[in-house]
Amino acid sequence: MSDAVLATHGLNVRFGGLLAVNDVSLECRQGRLTGLIGPNGAGKTTFIDAVTGFLPNNALGSVLLEGEEVFGRSPHQLSHAGLTRTWQTLELFDDITVRSNLDVASRRLTLGAALLDYFRPRHREDRVEEVLDLLNLGGIAERQPRELSQGQRKLVGVGRALVAESSKILLLDEPAAGLDKAETEWFGAQLRGLVDQGYTMLLVDHDMGLVLNVCDYIHMLVFGQMTASGTPEEMRNNPEVIAAYLGHSGGEA
Amino acid sequence: MIARLSPVERIGTVALSALALAWIVAAIARRDIFFDPVLFGLGSGAIIAALAIGLVVAFRASGVINFGHGAIATYVTYVYVSLVGDGQYPVPPLPNPVAPIEGIAGIEIFDFPTFIDLGDSMGKAPALVIALATAAVLGLVAHFAVFRPLRYAPVLAKVIASVGIMLFLQAAVVLRFGARAKATEPIFPNEPVEILGTRVGQDRLWVLGTVVVITVALWVLFRYTRFGIATRAGAENERFTTLLGFNADFQAGVSWVMASVLAGLVGILVAPITGVTPNFFTVLLISSLGAALLGRMSSFVVAAAAGLMLGIVDQELFRLELEWSWIPDIGIRRALPFVVIALAMVARGESLPSRGALTVERLPEAYSPRITRGRLIGYGALIAVAFWLTVFAPFQYRGGMQNSMIGVILALSLVVVTGYVGQISLMQMALAGIGAFSVASFGTQAGMPLFVSLPLAVAAGVGFGLIAAIPSLRTRGASLAIVTLASGLAMGEIFFSRPGWFGLDRGVKTTDPPTLFGLEFGPNSDFFLGDGKIPTGGYGLVLLVVGALCCISVMRLRRSRLGEQMLAVRANERAAAAAGVNVAAIKLSAFAISSFFAALGGALIAFNLGTYGTNTFGIFASLTVLAFAYLGGISTVGGAITAGTLFSEGIGIVVTNEWVIDVGPYTAYVAGFFLIGTAVYNNEGIDGFQRRQFHQLGGWLGRRWRAARRGAAPREPEGADV
Repeated sequence: MSDAVLATHGLNVRFGGLLAVNDVSLECRQGRLTGLIGPNGAGKTTFIDAVTGFLPNNALGSVLLEGEEVFGRSPHQLSHAGLTRTWQTLELFDDITVRSNLDVASRRLTLGAALLDYFRPRHREDRVEEVLDLLNLGGIAERQPRELSQGQRKLVGVGRALVAESSKILLLDEPAAGLDKAETEWFGAQLRGLVDQGYTMLLVDHDMGLVLNVCDYIHMLVFGQMTASGTPEEMRNNPEVIAAYLGHSGGEA
Repeated sequence: MIARLSPVERIGTVALSALALAWIVAAIARRDIFFDPVLFGLGSGAIIAALAIGLVVAFRASGVINFGHGAIATYVTYVYVSLVGDGQYPVPPLPNPVAPIEGIAGIEIFDFPTFIDLGDSMGKAPALVIALATAAVLGLVAHFAVFRPLRYAPVLAKVIASVGIMLFLQAAVVLRFGARAKATEPIFPNEPVEILGTRVGQDRLWVLGTVVVITVALWVLFRYTRFGIATRAGAENERFTTLLGFNADFQAGVSWVMASVLAGLVGILVAPITGVTPNFFTVLLISSLGAALLGRMSSFVVAAAAGLMLGIVDQELFRLELEWSWIPDIGIRRALPFVVIALAMVARGESLPSRGALTVERLPEAYSPRITRGRLIGYGALIAVAFWLTVFAPFQYRGGMQNSMIGVILALSLVVVTGYVGQISLMQMALAGIGAFSVASFGTQAGMPLFVSLPLAVAAGVGFGLIAAIPSLRTRGASLAIVTLASGLAMGEIFFSRPGWFGLDRGVKTTDPPTLFGLEFGPNSDFFLGDGKIPTGGYGLVLLVVGALCCISVMRLRRSRLGEQMLAVRANERAAAAAGVNVAAIKLSAFAISSFFAALGGALIAFNLGTYGTNTFGIFASLTVLAFAYLGGISTVGGAITAGTLFSEGIGIVVTNEWVIDVGPYTAYVAGFFLIGTAVYNNEGIDGFQRRQFHQLGGWLGRRWRAARRGAAPREPEGADV
């Protein structure tokens, strides 16, 4: 068996008559940054939604997390199982501090844990402090997300997905959207740093530059179908990729 | 067509068809049971349908579920009735600017006019025109002063604003016309006609015909005209419509006028048949909300048909209850809207079509103060003052404190569920009623001691709160508000409105004063401190301790992990689920905690009043509690305390009455007015407003102090922002 942390087999997503994701099978290996590219509307975000359990009525197929079938579980169960994600539109918890944003995601709250915490509060969680340090967010831990820059907010989003005790793989949905060129490069370096420390990620983006620069292995999705896969070198020269991107956003990417 | 329905909808369709078929067969066999009620039900069904399509018009225009729709109908109807009957146009109750001076100086300067006299009595046609013009103005005001500024506001603010409109207009009607029913001359011919051998009032058929015509007209208008298409697009995606060159604001304004005139017209046409009371249409509105919801707040035809069906089924159940004695007399008939709404929610899944707004403004901040020594001293001083007011102050202040402490607990119940988790609950007083009625049934009637009966009563409240919360797991925002409103109504109809061991005894419910280990501590019991007059301080003191404990426990909740998860759910349900939060469990626990406080508050009301009835725990009481809680500040404990002082006959009102002016009869009116203002201009309520002022003042003083220490005069720009 391979060392795939996450593997999908024949994943389909159907909205009415539209097949938004068509028979997609891919693997994300331990300690690697896997990329998923594709033009707008290719079904990239839909793919993430399906994998993370947000499309229970539309998706069909198989999702294996470290070899265990997890398809059909609800989003919070998948999060506990170690499958965490970020959002293109960030979706941070705006009313609570950065530290609380991470706190919420850090540990499973059972009834017992909630009661214990209520009567004997423990204010600092080691794992949360660790991630705050890792992402250099310590200085803004007591601020609310709306007071931060867009780049910092993106990092908080990543931190919230990383912090889960059981986190095995991170699915990043268009994390570079809304960042300028310099911010994107800086952000890509942060991601690469995390992967080099042993984290496993799937990076979904339509920014070819970012994906080609930081990923180890790349898949391309066009109209819901996987049309090409390969290392960044292979993808750079793949006629399918060039065809899909040229004249679209290839110029500025 | 069938293939596109979800499995639940398919089962529902089949079941409905089977039921309809069985009904037709039964109607041929037993006309008196299965045909006549249908004919009678068409009348009330037509009213429900007409209100439902009005709701759909307003929703399509601006994405608002207007809880004030029934109140608009009521107000316009009263205007019409007053014009036809006495030729008098009612002036909306306005604050008399010199009243405080009069109150303090004890002199009479001048009275505000209550009516404008327009001659003896007016013909129906001019009265109709004036009344409908009033409706149009109400629609314009609702749009421009309330809902347009709320375009990008969270759903909660919109719901609150429309509840404010309801309270405000309803209170205006009561202030001007009193609470009794009014009758007026018929508009339509009312000689009975015979249909298939059954005699039925002709006027009902006329109303039905009018409603059908209006429904078809609206359908055509919204489907085929440029205006309708633009309005529909505007409610879905405002930016896009604006880019296409439509004036979304104008569209919404016109739709509001249409909705409002429609409401008024229904009221006026129906008034001669049924008579009107100040809350007649608002009670019917709950059925209409169910019907409109079945039409997904967007289909006129489905909403109207569903409204008619609700009227018919209501009559049918009424008849069946008479016919078949084995049907338990537990108010199934009045609980029907809730059943329909709950089923619609489950079948319709996720939520309502949401409005594609440009941005969404933030929710009120769930501020949690750091516990500093200064704050602790402040809390201590507050408790000391409260203690003095509760035990030693004159009797009216003691009574005010008791009401306020109960108000604080009820407001806290909303802080948890609405403030922290963002779930709008309009059933809090019904849950309080469960607490109040159970504590009397278990305690006084069954003779259980307090330490058994009170926990049982609270547990009953929590149980019902959880049952009512189940449909809410699939709904949110305004649709949840409707579900909870209907649940509250159902609880009232099933438990508090009928005699029985659990319910009323000769129209009231009575409880003995609370006694623990032989020590009686009701509001009339002897107490060793104070002047000994009723109410004595003992019960107030118990309330003070319980209220303070409740405040502390909610403050701790805010800081706990559970509280953090609640705020995460409020901020973003999808992201919370992705972060591993079990959203359903968090919502249910919030409803459970909230019901706990509500039922506890209800039981305390029971001991405070001793004898109480249905209305204390009716849907309007629930709406009023929400109004006060929001006004005080829905997302903070400080807000709940502020809400408590404002509470009906609370300490704030007593102080105002004693020192400034008697606001008693105007409480609901003023509350409604300020509720609208709070929703539109300051969604953090009085508590948040004060907090900002204090912070600004604190910041300013701090800068002054630092500047003084540096020995320099404060610079101009720093002082200028105060």
